[in-house]
Amino acid sequence: MQTSLSGLRRDFGLAWRQLRREFRLSEYLVLIFALILSVAAVTSVGFFANRVERAMAAQAATLLAADAVLSSPKPITSEVLDRAAKDSLRTTGVTEFPSVVLTEEGDTGLVSVKAVGPDYPLRGELKLTQQLLGEERVATDAPDSGTVWIDPRLAGRLELVVGDQLQFGDIEVIVAALIAFEPDGSVDTFQLAPRLMMNSDDLQRSGLLGEGSRARYRLLLAGDEPGVESFTDWFDATSDANMQLQTVEEGRPAVRSALVNARRFLGLAAAVAVLLSAAAVALAARQIAERDMNTGSLMRTFGASGNTVLRVVLIRLGLIALLATVLGCTTGYLAQFGLSALLGQWFAAELPAPSLTPLFGGLMCAVLALLGFCLPSLVRAIDTPVLQVLRRDLPVVQPSALLALSSALAALGILLAWLTRDWKLGLLLLLGMLLVLGILMLVSRFLVALAVRVKSGYMRRALESLRRRPDSVSLQIAAFSVGLLAILLLTLVRNDVLGAWQRQIPDDAPNFFLINIQPDEVSSVKEFLSRRGVQNDTLYPMIRARLESINGEPVVDIKFDDRAGERFAERDFNLSYLAEQREDNKILSGEWWDSDVTTPLFSVEEDFASDIGVAIGDTLQFRIADQLVIGEVSNLREVDWESFAVNFFVVGTPVGLDDKPASYVSSVYVPDQQGEFVRELVSEFSGVTAIEIGTMLKRVTGIIDRAALAVQYVFVFTMLAGLLVLWASVLASRRERFREAAILRTLGASRTYLASSTTREFALIGLLAGIIASSVAALIGWAVIERVMELSYEFNIWLWVTGIVAGVAGVLIAGKLATRPVLNQLPIAVLQSQV
Amino acid sequence: MLCNRFKQAHPLIITARDVCKSVSTGDAELTILEKVNIDLTAGEVLAIVGPSGSGKSTLLGVLAGLDSASSGTVHLLDQPLHELDEDGRAAVRAGSVGFVFQSFQLLPGLSALENVMLPLELANIDDAKSRALQQLAAVGLEHRLGHLPAQLSGGEQQRVAVARAFVSIPSVLFADEPTGNLDHATGDRIIDLMFRLRAEHNTALVLVTHDQNLASRCDRVSSMQDGQLR
Repeated sequence: MQTSLSGLRRDFGLAWRQLRREFRLSEYLVLIFALILSVAAVTSVGFFANRVERAMAAQAATLLAADAVLSSPKPITSEVLDRAAKDSLRTTGVTEFPSVVLTEEGDTGLVSVKAVGPDYPLRGELKLTQQLLGEERVATDAPDSGTVWIDPRLAGRLELVVGDQLQFGDIEVIVAALIAFEPDGSVDTFQLAPRLMMNSDDLQRSGLLGEGSRARYRLLLAGDEPGVESFTDWFDATSDANMQLQTVEEGRPAVRSALVNARRFLGLAAAVAVLLSAAAVALAARQIAERDMNTGSLMRTFGASGNTVLRVVLIRLGLIALLATVLGCTTGYLAQFGLSALLGQWFAAELPAPSLTPLFGGLMCAVLALLGFCLPSLVRAIDTPVLQVLRRDLPVVQPSALLALSSALAALGILLAWLTRDWKLGLLLLLGMLLVLGILMLVSRFLVALAVRVKSGYMRRALESLRRRPDSVSLQIAAFSVGLLAILLLTLVRNDVLGAWQRQIPDDAPNFFLINIQPDEVSSVKEFLSRRGVQNDTLYPMIRARLESINGEPVVDIKFDDRAGERFAERDFNLSYLAEQREDNKILSGEWWDSDVTTPLFSVEEDFASDIGVAIGDTLQFRIADQLVIGEVSNLREVDWESFAVNFFVVGTPVGLDDKPASYVSSVYVPDQQGEFVRELVSEFSGVTAIEIGTMLKRVTGIIDRAALAVQYVFVFTMLAGLLVLWASVLASRRERFREAAILRTLGASRTYLASSTTREFALIGLLAGIIASSVAALIGWAVIERVMELSYEFNIWLWVTGIVAGVAGVLIAGKLATRPVLNQLPIAVLQSQV
Repeated sequence: MLCNRFKQAHPLIITARDVCKSVSTGDAELTILEKVNIDLTAGEVLAIVGPSGSGKSTLLGVLAGLDSASSGTVHLLDQPLHELDEDGRAAVRAGSVGFVFQSFQLLPGLSALENVMLPLELANIDDAKSRALQQLAAVGLEHRLGHLPAQLSGGEQQRVAVARAFVSIPSVLFADEPTGNLDHATGDRIIDLMFRLRAEHNTALVLVTHDQNLASRCDRVSSMQDGQLR
């Protein structure tokens, strides 16, 4: 034991001594930087996700403001309330719906109303303030009747302070407080409208909720564990699929799924950085292995066993992994502040400090990258014949291609599966990334082959260099263009796509959705609209319905091929009815019904028909309130959803539907710079809600911008990794470059001449990388705009200018830095083989 | 200590019988050594001369256990190298065999002192540092201890290699063209140094060289021709 311990101490000493000085060598610097980059990319995402998860865990008890929440599109039935009482659960009702408020100054604002009953919240605390950033107090009950509490966002937007009066439906209310913290707030993570909280007793008086209004009803439940369990069991046994029960254990699914998605996207961006860093690790490892072959054979010459050499190699790798983990995790920790600033507010008001768990991820990333990409090369070095010390002409032992490839793929597979938390997705990503990299390499190789045919005296030496190292140059170009492509896609191409979409929206496209119009308000709203000069004043009836069966088979028993179909079958959706065919809906097959039709028929939107698997002649049965409506599908329609006109998946004949409870909706274009239209509409029709499409779009694009910025932020690691690959592959040709430079300088070439030769070479490589990245980015932009969105693509010269300038500048800087020692080396030292 | 006892008890340091070495060149088998027989006693100096490609370095490699023979037997320090695997042969070399190479073969990442300490450390000898310091002083490099090989001249590098070779007081030293990369004067000084240290420690020496003058300083000269020793 003592011998093995002293042996280990000796091996550690040898490894440390070698490493201490080798750190200064470029190949080690590349290796360490590549590992630091991988670890930083992975841990920045890890630390951020960890902070969000901790915030969610800390809030778990108060997330729902209850022990369980039952939600439904319809008012909660007395049967449910009776059952809750039987299980000795405390309850309070919450109703949520969108609406518009009017200030005394005549300003309007869209709000997300939450009417709460007494004792709200049942769990956790609702915190209020009297002024922005003022002292917080805990609310002990619902707002008093006639008062509301509002989100500070609304206060800011409408310049409201506590004590101001608001018109709200048929009632006038006083702002009594600002909401500082809402325990079950923003159940929809990306809630667009600010919160307004009112007493549920005022709901009836306000006249805001009519037949078919878009409201969500929740029943908060709290009690002891057996009571909640008993209620849950009872609920599971009931078959009302419109109602959902959520318990504390399930957390907030919207936030959770947003986190999972954010983690996946950011993880993907980090994965590309890891992939490129891994390529740099592999390239550096080959250089290090060549050096190690000599060291290994010399150590064995002096009597070291194979195990000793292996131990020294492993200890050295372990030390490198440790160093890279410490530095990478520190960088990742600092970088996550950026991510938290960009995305954190979506998930929690304040994110707690992260735990140390992501450090393990960082260490795993460094160890896997070293094991997968470095170890096969280095271990092979141990097998170098000892005779190499006598015979320098012995061929360099290369690791088995199969071993190198399989260990690299296995390491990458594990890393990707871990980064995306889904092994299938990880595998798919791995194949996808390898495919993209492979294609880019092929394209690069093709361009290099074309470039070297160019006859140019000025570029002669640069072209010569490309001709001699086509594979290495292709790898450099492919690696750098991956990073550049990602950045171009997320900046210029994203703007092109959004621009193309916005361009196709006609100037007079509807800018307001009007919802919650009651049947008795239809004619007066039409009159109001015509008074305002609105051309299209069609109001469409909207009926909440549930698809019960297709051709007599209950939808709960149908296995849908498409998940969208399954979702539609599981929840309520909106039906409408029309006598005459709309001009903006094209019939694709079948025929519109005659005006004197006597039995119910349905017209189904083509994609929806395919999702739920119905065709002309099929029978659909809907449940509306407590009544059933059965009818045949008479035609399939095409709908232009981008037109902002009101449209429906299923439209029926007036027969069978016009006697059902409905509200009306419309979309209109009204030039309304000053908000006059909304003010007048709200004061005349208190229950009608006008949603401005422009504001909504601005908020959605704002969210997309931030998400893109966050992904872009992680892709900076990818760009840096691309530069490292470039540095590593320049290093691979360094020996050759040293010798060439020495011979040329011996023959009289000046340093300036050599420097300008390398400048031209790297500028050419950067140019090719820029051309490839810009071309592929433009191609993807074109495909998305022309093929997916079916809009017209506009050539963007800036995409090419930016791509090429960034490509040339990036490669030039990295290449010049990597080859600086070549220019500074004395020729005699090279020719005497001291380098 | 062990080495000195070995030298007294076993006058024969190397015994090689009918050593053959051949390699496959794809289609054909290339014979490099053919039925070579050698005996080397303690303290004896043997020069192996011959033209390039005659198999001198291969023979040196086989005798030192750096390479294995295709057939025949080789005993080094009474150990049957032909029966041992690579690790077994390395264990025989540890602390008992020294080497000096034409291209110096110093580890670029280690200082002069650390390079000299290496064989002692690998043989698990405790006072590696003090012995290495002594040996570097013996070759006149006590002022270059912390220098890396790249910071030393060719002659200095070879002196470090000589110090490394003798630091473990080996029973036998294998030297492959030790002056091949040096100018004449420096080469002469290195050879003088090697012979002086060899004599001090009564170390047997197997010297592969092209240089007839150098060979003439040895106790015995064997000539390699087409894989055969004459």
